Amino acid sequence: MAPLTPYTYIQCPCSDVSPLSRSNDPNSPSTAGADDEERTFDPRAPRSNFSLYPLEYLLYCEDCHQIRCPRCVAEEIVTYYCPNCLFEVPSSNIKSEGNRCTRSCFQCPICIGPLSVASIDSQPDPNLLAAPDQAQSGTNILICSYCNWSSTEIGITFSKSNGIHAQLAKIRNGGAPRLTAKEHKEKRKEEAAQSRLAGASSPESEQNLDVETQFANLKSFYQGQLAESSSGGNGLSSLGDLGFASPNSLSRIMSIYTGGSLHDKRSRSRVGTMREALDSDEGLQLADLDESAAISKLQSEGYEATISTDQLTEQPPRLEDAHLHGRTRFTSELRPIPYLLRTKRSKRCPVCRHIISKPEAKVATTRFRIRLVAGSYIPTITIRPLNVPGGASPTSPPDALVPLQPAQFLLTFRNPIFETVKVTLATPSKTPGRFPSKVTVLCPQFEIDANTDVWDEALNKDDTDKDRRRRRGDENNNGGNGNGNGNGNGNGNQPEAGKIWERGRNWVSIVVEVVPASLRLDLLASTANLAGGEGIDAGPLREDEDILEIPMFVRVEWEVEGGGDEVGSAPGKDKEATEKRELAYWSVIGLGRVGQS
Amino acid sequence: MSKRHSIVPPISQAGPKPPVQLSSSLTIADSAVLTGSHPIAIHGETVIHPRARIESLCGRVTIGRRCIVHERATLGAVGVSGRVTENAVTLGDYVTIEVGAAIQAGETVIGDGTTVGVQAKVGAGAVVGKHCTLTPHTEIAAGEVIPDYTVIYSNGMRRTDRRGVTELRNKAQARQIEVLRRMIPSNPAKFA
Ligand SMILES: [Zn+2]
Ligand SMILES: [Zn+2]
Ligand SMILES: [Zn+2]
Ligand SMILES: [Zn+2]
Repeated sequence: MAPLTPYTYIQCPCSDVSPLSRSNDPNSPSTAGADDEERTFDPRAPRSNFSLYPLEYLLYCEDCHQIRCPRCVAEEIVTYYCPNCLFEVPSSNIKSEGNRCTRSCFQCPICIGPLSVASIDSQPDPNLLAAPDQAQSGTNILICSYCNWSSTEIGITFSKSNGIHAQLAKIRNGGAPRLTAKEHKEKRKEEAAQSRLAGASSPESEQNLDVETQFANLKSFYQGQLAESSSGGNGLSSLGDLGFASPNSLSRIMSIYTGGSLHDKRSRSRVGTMREALDSDEGLQLADLDESAAISKLQSEGYEATISTDQLTEQPPRLEDAHLHGRTRFTSELRPIPYLLRTKRSKRCPVCRHIISKPEAKVATTRFRIRLVAGSYIPTITIRPLNVPGGASPTSPPDALVPLQPAQFLLTFRNPIFETVKVTLATPSKTPGRFPSKVTVLCPQFEIDANTDVWDEALNKDDTDKDRRRRRGDENNNGGNGNGNGNGNGNGNQPEAGKIWERGRNWVSIVVEVVPASLRLDLLASTANLAGGEGIDAGPLREDEDILEIPMFVRVEWEVEGGGDEVGSAPGKDKEATEKRELAYWSVIGLGRVGQS
Repeated sequence: MSKRHSIVPPISQAGPKPPVQLSSSLTIADSAVLTGSHPIAIHGETVIHPRARIESLCGRVTIGRRCIVHERATLGAVGVSGRVTENAVTLGDYVTIEVGAAIQAGETVIGDGTTVGVQAKVGAGAVVGKHCTLTPHTEIAAGEVIPDYTVIYSNGMRRTDRRGVTELRNKAQARQIEVLRRMIPSNPAKFA
């Protein structure tokens, strides 16, 4: 199994539906567990999949002082553009022309590679190549330079080398002209006028309708039927007609079962039964069940002429065409795919509606006007296994944790803001799940210095060693569970409870000790969390159940000057006073896989 | 002292010098590598780029007319079996072997007008038909037979090339060779 890189996921507060928030009793950085059990966030719960994000995915609202995730931000589209020609499409065009590029950008229907326009005229003289008039005449095709597909395979050539989209809309596969929806409407109007003049029914009553026309016919037919059936009752209102006990309803139900109404038009109009569409004017299209053409095509061209499901799903909807009745199975029915437009979106805070991310509207730039990423507000956590010098070095550090053998990890918290922050951590003493591992955070409470100028540290380099040594011990008093290990700061390289491991300009490293659980199912009975007398789940090891994940509640506190322009300052109120800020969230520290003994 | 030092590693011209049969209209770069014990025949107007490698350790290598063998392409690479056959690799006319492609030795045939894409691999004994296109990173297993006009793309998907542009492609190849002849200093004497 692939070794697991340690990771940190952070839970967005938007998923905080259960009483997970601990903001009302911030003074219990307890690592103790049993009574806390039901409040502990379980990273394995199916719901957690939707609320945990790597820090890079998260945004931060400066007004609410809260983390925002891709799931809870409100998105607004800034620009539509074609990913191929980078042309910005006004949103009014989206409504009228759809969400695909209407210039000459197409994807290959076989391999989705970009298609390019090529001229297939046999030039009599290569010197004429540069003649500017060439674009206006001749034969052009779309070709894919990757899989060598060309539009000649579906029988389509273009007379001009530009405006391919418009030209393509007028050609069917094979080269026959195709009417656009607008032309269809005009044609229909003409036909209707002609048939009215002739006083006879349309000779083309069994024609193949395109999907749009069929729908329009069906809709108008059934609307007529609805109106007819509701008004056709014996003076009863449509509401009264619906009463189950009324004789009208009864006879209608009877006529449905006997099917008599279809033959007896008078009884139909009297009873008010709806009939179904009968011809193509009313929207009826008979499915073409004669597949002999398809079978012979399969026999002659074989498997290669058929298309895959992927290729079929990539095809744009074809509303101007007749129902294909299964003819979409062949490559000869494929159409070049106009590029789907992409969007640039701005993101708003769901609570205060302030914009927290806004890209530059211009398509070609990748810059952002506003981008409040969580990484510049909350501490980043990096994890690495701790090699204890002198001690027994970890045998196989990152690939697998040895069950029941204590392992130590170094968590480094890096403070991105310009204030000193106080961090309080809380973890359950045993990880949730069937195989609880023991977790001990050696220093659950510490301060991280402000993210000051990088040069400060460089210039004061002489002091830092001394400084660091001095600081190493001073968290004694803060340590919530400092278990009276009163040795002070003796040897600098042994992890000690209540002491940070190392400290830098804006970072602090602490040690977390874990005792991974044994994954042996026969031991489950003795190690399982028997909460409330539940039965033991002795099923086989599930996917990723061997990953040691620690739920960790992180609380960050800092103070800001009310009037300053530093991050997190709220506009308003007493500008002089310092304001206390607090941010608390659950995170998940993934340490690695537990080896199977 | 304007001599610049190249960062590319020196060319390993190790191994025996093969008997060659080179056309007078051939363009072969000075830093191409011809090695092996069996004869190597290269026909007219073909271009061999610098650092292309042609090995005849496992048999005779024949390259047709107006072929282009790009940089770091290997023809006649010794396969797993390492067995010696009469013809290791045979290329037809108008064949393009792209950058870094490898053709294993062992009665391997590449038909006329076929393009072997960047970093593609053709196994020993494979017979690739005429006017085929092997897209980059395609792998043809040993002994496979590919029909004419086959396009192999996207991890082994296959289709037939129906463009019918064979003539145009040959013309384009000829034009490209025209340009390459002017750009690549040829030194056939080195290999004779
Ligand atoms: Zn959220
Ligand atoms: Zn476009
Ligand atoms: Zn393609
Ligand atoms: Zn907000």
